[in-house]
Amino acid sequence: MKESSESREFSNEYSDFSADVEGEQTLVINMGPQHPSTHGVLRVVLVLDGEYIVSATPVIGYLHRMHEKMAEIRTSVQYMPNMGRVDYLNPLGWNWAYVGALERLAGIEVPERAEFIRVITGELNRISSHLVWFGAYILDLGAFTPIMYAFEDREKILDLLQPISGSRLTYSFFRPGGVARDVTGSFLKDTLAFVKYMRGRLPMYRDLVTDNIIFRKRCEGVGVLSLEMCQRYGATGPVIRGSNRPYDIRKAEPYSIYDRFDYHIPVDEKGDAMGRYRVRMAELAESLNIIEQAVNQIPEGAHLVKKAPKPRWKAPKGEVYFAVEGARGKIGVYLISNGDKHPYRVKLRSPGFSNLSLFGELAKGHLLQDAVSILGSLDLVIPEIDR
Amino acid sequence: MTPVWMEGLETLCKCRHSFEKTGITWGLFLSPESLSGAVKRLYNADFFLEDISGLDSANGLVAVYHLSAYSSPDRVALYVIAPQDDPQIPSISAVYSGARWHERETSDFFGIQFTGHPDPKPLLLPEEMTDHPLVKEEKSRLSLSDLLDRGEIVERAPDFLHFEVTDSPAPESEPVGQGPKTPDGES
Repeated sequence: MKESSESREFSNEYSDFSADVEGEQTLVINMGPQHPSTHGVLRVVLVLDGEYIVSATPVIGYLHRMHEKMAEIRTSVQYMPNMGRVDYLNPLGWNWAYVGALERLAGIEVPERAEFIRVITGELNRISSHLVWFGAYILDLGAFTPIMYAFEDREKILDLLQPISGSRLTYSFFRPGGVARDVTGSFLKDTLAFVKYMRGRLPMYRDLVTDNIIFRKRCEGVGVLSLEMCQRYGATGPVIRGSNRPYDIRKAEPYSIYDRFDYHIPVDEKGDAMGRYRVRMAELAESLNIIEQAVNQIPEGAHLVKKAPKPRWKAPKGEVYFAVEGARGKIGVYLISNGDKHPYRVKLRSPGFSNLSLFGELAKGHLLQDAVSILGSLDLVIPEIDR
Repeated sequence: MTPVWMEGLETLCKCRHSFEKTGITWGLFLSPESLSGAVKRLYNADFFLEDISGLDSANGLVAVYHLSAYSSPDRVALYVIAPQDDPQIPSISAVYSGARWHERETSDFFGIQFTGHPDPKPLLLPEEMTDHPLVKEEKSRLSLSDLLDRGEIVERAPDFLHFEVTDSPAPESEPVGQGPKTPDGES
């Protein structure tokens, strides 16, 4: 098994995995890079003893594009479109983190209407991201139907965001100092209609999937994650909230206008894959609440500050860190500017990177089939992890 | 004023920042030896590791650690400076397991070696690659005083000269001004 690969690069890697652990015969198998349940090109090297996982090692980097280097050769405003491409399922979370960093650095005040538009579109994007995760997760576990329902609902969000942002997937909609385009009355009306529609869909999801005994047997008690492990690995987002810690950047490091809305942070005390599932499903309802309040309160006004930075704008000197709550957890942008058009250094903190890094320890001792269940419950988007 | 975990911690320079302006509450410059002690204190004070990034400057390669508290908006940045020709910084993966990947990534991008790392192979870049893409050319490197916010300097070791003193009480170091531009190993 070990010697089967003739390439030197692979044989190096395999030499790390002992074929015999304490006299037991073990088997090394590769899950990925091309595997339907790794969503993108993630490779996991699994050492198995029978059906049990002795060790699991994620191998990443297949989708690495060096976004941090691209930041240094573009001007700080021109770098915006990259943000939509870091995480294609939650581009507005990354949009927000990056413009937030520039605004904090330059002290730009964002018009109130723009903040409301950001909240509405950002939460819509969170729902669409969770819907893809929901459909794909159940698909990984062997049920095909739910992804059709989830994509039908997600399609409605894409249709809402397309006219205002100009794209369906890799949005580049936020600007330092506001958003690219104002929303229309019909957008707000359609959004409210969507909130009503989506609320009607959630009980159906509960009956179809959450209460489904086959699904629950695959998730309950699987991949129990302790808070201590979350802290050691820096897990954030639904992963840490599924382990009963109400850590949400919208409340922990308040930004934008989230303090004006009434919502709560769902947590689950179990810490297993089902707990993380429940947290995300509860977040769908919470995001709908926020959207409804924001649409009802949105004021008139400008969508972009008067002297918004142009592409050749020079950011002031200094260093800045800005974090937002993305669909997968804490998105952080650390930016150092020397007063030039180009940033001197941009560091992107991706939540999936930290969440995936704990997989090796978490999967140990589980059955091979549970590896799929655990991976899915972490909500991985590989381009975001590799950046 | 200073938080409990910081009491008695030996640093090269302690800077207090405004969270509203920079998103960072404390910036601490540490010697490689005192890094793991500081990280242990932060772990016990319920901080988690957000990320490790690198920074290439005229004063050497800098590893920047961001740690954040769960309960309040509180972010600590730790800076460890290593010389460009032999950048070695001790690994903190014994405290924060998640640091294993962050350190491998920083090694990929900057060539910083994290000593004591259990598995120091490339993470995102191919193994045969020897270049470090985020290392800058000699002429485009800037000094730390041009890059980092000094905030309000609370305490400063006499041999820490990267921030030429402006408003804080000046120690009796000779005012060399442009002097400390060479990558010096001891800091």
